[in-house]
Amino acid sequence: MSVSKNIILFALLSVLLIVFMLAMQDLDVLYNSYGRDYYLLYGLEETGSRNLVSAIYLDYRLFDSLFEAGILLIAVSGIIWISKHDIEEKNAKFMIDKYKTPDLFVTFSRLVYPLMLTFGFYVIINGHLSPGGGFQGGAIVATAILILYYIDSERETNIGLIVTIEKYIFMTIIVLASISLFTRGTFFTNFMPLDASLQMKSIYLVLLNLLIGFKVALGLWTIFTAFLKEGR
Amino acid sequence: MDPILTFIVVLIGFYGLSTSSNIIKSVFMVTIIESGIILLFLNLGNYQGGSIPIFSEQVTSIVDPLPQALMITTIVIGSTVTAMALMLSIKVFHYYGSIEWKDVLGREELKL
Repeated sequence: MSVSKNIILFALLSVLLIVFMLAMQDLDVLYNSYGRDYYLLYGLEETGSRNLVSAIYLDYRLFDSLFEAGILLIAVSGIIWISKHDIEEKNAKFMIDKYKTPDLFVTFSRLVYPLMLTFGFYVIINGHLSPGGGFQGGAIVATAILILYYIDSERETNIGLIVTIEKYIFMTIIVLASISLFTRGTFFTNFMPLDASLQMKSIYLVLLNLLIGFKVALGLWTIFTAFLKEGR
Repeated sequence: MDPILTFIVVLIGFYGLSTSSNIIKSVFMVTIIESGIILLFLNLGNYQGGSIPIFSEQVTSIVDPLPQALMITTIVIGSTVTAMALMLSIKVFHYYGSIEWKDVLGREELKL
């Protein structure tokens, strides 16, 4: 790359930096503390979730989470569609070879696997009380499932079945989120009435966290399997 | 000062994106830009003396939970976008036999 092009590039990046610094100057006026004060005052009694991050993505901004789950589903379908090919795979077992994996690693994977699965479900189910939630716990569960491929490299996975289950879970999430239309009169919020106890409200939160966690775990599992099949 | 430092991470990503010669490196640079944006948002929501956004009776002030909830979305979407880009680069490699930009675009004078 020539020197003049480099100078032009640095000049453009400097312009971007100066524009950003100018935009940051009146940040104290634009960005105030009303939002976080509101969440601290009314977050628990309106949503029933002690973890206010879960309160936002499961109740206040559930619309965002639904479309995020939709994007995950579309991306998984796209990756499977792109990765289809007719060429015979020569060294599909090359990436994870049973004879190259050390025995110590296999033994410890067998020990760690149930612990990781338990920890993932703990993070999912306690998502409304402690740090965690469906997305994070789903990633942990997916990582635990990937260990199985190290233990047994000849494991066959039915990708079509997994994606079908994922689609049904996504529809269940939409249906569960829409029940509030009949009980509260508004879309995409907790279906328990506003004056219900915390335990009753947490039924909805645990159910939705579980469904989102399963969906994320299945999606990441499918992506990994699609990359595993690419050895040729 | 801190938001400007995180924006410099984004600018490093832009610089790498416009000078990288390899598709895989470009995918890495997109990931770096995304990390810079995540840091920027978490930095905006942070403030001195606030505790973690979990409600309890002793807590009087918290950091803003809204940017954290938005960034969970960004991380999940970013991982799927990275996976999609890497899968497309595998297809490009099988079609062109190379993942250098100058081979893929067919422009020999493009010496990045």
